Amino acid sequence: MRIFGAFYMGLSALLLALPIVVVCAAALNSGRSMFFPPQDPTLARFGEFFVSEPVWTNALWNSIIVAVGAATLAVLMAWPIAYLLWSTGSKLSKTLAGLGSLPFAVPPIVFGVGLGFFWAFTGGLGALWAGVISHAILLMALPLVTISIGLQSIDRSHLDAAATMGATEQVAFKTVVLPQTVPYTISGFFFVLVLSFNEFIVIFFVSASSYATVTLQIFNSLRNGYTPTMAVAAITFLAVSVLVFSAIARWGDLPRLMGADQSRK
Amino acid sequence: MTIADDISVSRADRPERRVSTLPAKTILLGLLTSIIVVFCVLPFLLVLAISFGRKVDGAAWVWDFTFDNYQRFFVGVLWPDEVTFLYLQQLGFSFYFAVIASLLAVLTALPFTLQLTRLKRTSQAMWLVFIMASLSLSEVFIVMGWDILLSNNSGLPKLFKETGLTQWLKDVGWFQHLRDWGLANPRNVKFKTSDFATILTMSYLVWPYAVILLYPALSRLDPSLSEAARTMGASRWTVTRTVTLPSIRLPLFGTTLLLFVFLLGTYVSITVFAAPNKHTTAVAIYSNIRGANLNAPFGATQAIMLLISASACLYLGHVFNRRSEVR
Repeated sequence: MRIFGAFYMGLSALLLALPIVVVCAAALNSGRSMFFPPQDPTLARFGEFFVSEPVWTNALWNSIIVAVGAATLAVLMAWPIAYLLWSTGSKLSKTLAGLGSLPFAVPPIVFGVGLGFFWAFTGGLGALWAGVISHAILLMALPLVTISIGLQSIDRSHLDAAATMGATEQVAFKTVVLPQTVPYTISGFFFVLVLSFNEFIVIFFVSASSYATVTLQIFNSLRNGYTPTMAVAAITFLAVSVLVFSAIARWGDLPRLMGADQSRK
Repeated sequence: MTIADDISVSRADRPERRVSTLPAKTILLGLLTSIIVVFCVLPFLLVLAISFGRKVDGAAWVWDFTFDNYQRFFVGVLWPDEVTFLYLQQLGFSFYFAVIASLLAVLTALPFTLQLTRLKRTSQAMWLVFIMASLSLSEVFIVMGWDILLSNNSGLPKLFKETGLTQWLKDVGWFQHLRDWGLANPRNVKFKTSDFATILTMSYLVWPYAVILLYPALSRLDPSLSEAARTMGASRWTVTRTVTLPSIRLPLFGTTLLLFVFLLGTYVSITVFAAPNKHTTAVAIYSNIRGANLNAPFGATQAIMLLISASACLYLGHVFNRRSEVR
């Protein structure tokens, strides 16, 4: 039975990795078309993606701007809401948290359509800053959850102790609350960063074809057939995800963030 | 005793501070509320409002209050002379693909996640990194990968041909069945376009989500319960059937529902892998709003119908959950 379980896990991992492996191997092709296994392997495509082809370098820059901007904004918006929810538990804060998670909960295409209309009226359609805000709103639910988990992990007796010793709310916040929630805030930031990097449908509607991120550029190229350069993009994105989540697992507590039982080790 | 109580007590000695911090808090709250209302609620209201609008031939569209778009969605534009269920059928395909793919994902992810929770904490974290990385991988990359694997000139069909598997299938007569299912052309097997490829890709898309959503519930399973049942002589299968499965029934159902709602709006997988006559509402929404048809009000109507279907499913799930909790 134990062997069967391990076998099943291995099989799942293999199937999960299969399309990724195929894409990665395809990046080594030297010609213009995709072959698997790769013909005449070369690393020239990496140069094209990062340095020489403006289509891809622009798309990469746009992706980075949108992802970093959205992650920063999302954390800045999620923090006060999560803090209010935790410290007061008021009806207003519950409503704010609920509405703030709404865009993430519905099928993304509906929110994409809505934002498309919204930016058309407010003049942001096709502007990069509108893309940043759109992703921040869409993904705000993630830091909201991670920061809330972090706040819940604070031992209330520490705060009582701080208050007894005469600390004001600000001092207690700075010395007790903030340090204990930093890892969770950073995790939330990186969740948004990675998901924004890979998000497609919302940015598809709000970009209105006037700029392209890497995922948009790849979708545009779907019709013209694949080129190995696209595979380099996939590798880059995958590498970023693995790095980010490894970092969260190393310095944060990934099993806890994912909701594992704390009492068992 | 909440923290807020503590702080107001400690502040009572310093009333002048209280006066200076209160407005700042109110401003912050007001700002937050307006941000949330403008960005999280207004877009949905806009879709709703525009769904009652009217398209003007040769131009864009105008505000209006007409139910024509909804009538078109349910019975077609020529009703009552002529009735077409084309748009309902598209919504039906959205459901069809989403139901099968989400069920497949949850059923295959369940044994995996059970195994995962039995591992040591450090190996769990390593697996989670792998799962999260594939979870965050963009739909376009996943479709690209499966497209290479399933397309006719490379990938599986080529592998089938070169290894002689195609010939063998023809020899034993199974090839005809594949043709009946739309998985082969006269010369070789083909997976593009097919329901098989669509469902496989969609299921793959949400499989990591299934693991992540099942993980908390499964990691809280009390191992002593099944151990007790085992000690009392129950077979492994009996334990799974009578102890493990009933205790995770609700998370199983909830996960399937969430994945199903997520998959209702799938766009890229459908456009690449589904046959054109099986395209879903999501594809129609795109072609109305940004694509060839350019009929924003009707696109908005379809988006609203998709949203209503999704909310209805979530609500029914909620009711079902409540009932079974009461029981």
